[in-house]
Amino acid sequence: MTADRALSDFSVSASFTDGQVVLALEGEVDVLSAPEFDAFFETMIDRGHRSVVLDLARLRFMDASGLAVIARGANRLEVTGGTLTIRTPIAMIGRLLDITGFARLVQLGPGTSAYGHLGPEELVADGAADHSYGMSKAMTKFASIHTDDELIDGALRMAVSLAGAAVGGADGVSVSLRRRGVLSTVAATDQTISTMDANQYQTGEGPCVDASTQGHWFHAESLENETRWPVFTPRARALGIQAILSSPLVVQEHPVGALNIYSLTPSAFSIRDQEMAGAFAARASSLLGDAEASQSDDDLSIRFQGALRVREVIAQAQGVLMEREGVSEKDAYAALRRYSLGNGRPLYERAENIVASARRSLTDADG
Amino acid sequence: MLMADAPPHFLDLFRRDAALSHGELWLRYFELGGMSTGLQLEAYLYGALRPTEHDHDIIAHALNERFVELGGNHPVPYSEDVDRGDDADHGDDVGRGAPDPN
Repeated sequence: MTADRALSDFSVSASFTDGQVVLALEGEVDVLSAPEFDAFFETMIDRGHRSVVLDLARLRFMDASGLAVIARGANRLEVTGGTLTIRTPIAMIGRLLDITGFARLVQLGPGTSAYGHLGPEELVADGAADHSYGMSKAMTKFASIHTDDELIDGALRMAVSLAGAAVGGADGVSVSLRRRGVLSTVAATDQTISTMDANQYQTGEGPCVDASTQGHWFHAESLENETRWPVFTPRARALGIQAILSSPLVVQEHPVGALNIYSLTPSAFSIRDQEMAGAFAARASSLLGDAEASQSDDDLSIRFQGALRVREVIAQAQGVLMEREGVSEKDAYAALRRYSLGNGRPLYERAENIVASARRSLTDADG
Repeated sequence: MLMADAPPHFLDLFRRDAALSHGELWLRYFELGGMSTGLQLEAYLYGALRPTEHDHDIIAHALNERFVELGGNHPVPYSEDVDRGDDADHGDDVGRGAPDPN
């Protein structure tokens, strides 16, 4: 019976090759051994290792406590710009990583072409940069941006810079995003562009508002002849804007915002520019989608932590009953279960009371 | 030996009645001390793997707690509720009172 397993056999060893540290796990990771794994993993990150490989070839079993350790490590590495690769899990563990969504958090080896942070020297692309800056190069850099929640606005600002550099006719770029029902500009190349967006939010019309709510793109080729936005258009022209291209940002089929590109020249956007704007908008959308998914991974991780606490209390209560009543582990569990059933209360509640009363009597005995 | 009227996936029928996703049930099972992975749990629910008595009882209790939360009783049988056959130690003879498959 699995619950009878007294102590799990687990070991972890580290080897260092090519700037990587490989942690080879062996045996079983469960609630008993997870702290050891956690401490070891954390030590490696503390020592400055940024490229960590978990080799699971000899790991026979892992439960949620192991997943929680991996999630914590992956998060820490991501924040510090590192990478985590998992390689050669046995089928059961591979599937576990897969169905819990952990495969998204980390790379599954052997391919280790890593996500990496952009270095400071690469942060210079802006609207004034060389327009020959290639699409593929720009997109590759954009794709390498992390999806960490805290970095999302920074990533969108980067998207704005890259779109400004890559889209030929662009004189200014912004990203509008609806958060808690309110549309606002989260990134813009300059103040004029922010003002332009703000005008649209105020008047409730304009290509940016329309793309953000309707989920398809709007191209105002020349504002001189534009009739769709009678209040907004004169304001834009007063600021010298002649052409606007707004591409929607879409997450899980819902429009959530827009990538807006403004030009001082009429008919500035070629077909290729339009395609490129669409590609940047698509990438920004998937970035937002990933951030949302990573948020739900965090939620899951928090729920795991809660579940681990509940488990522990139940195990402690079992221990108290075994000690106090001289019964087996199985009978102790059955007693908890019967009480829960007979009283229509959760087993956890009973366990908590038992543990609390045991603590009290210990304290009384000490006092 | 399963009860004649209990399909192999009777636990999964209870799960559906309890309006729990596989993930939610696994979390509850895990809270109550279950040691199997989500995939193994799914296999138990569908009858593809046979849980130990202890595992069966944890699953049954997780489901029953849910039914009580929903204002119902506790319809999922435990291993001791069932007449034991020769191989009762393997957690086999459970399944009485399974809901109608639909």
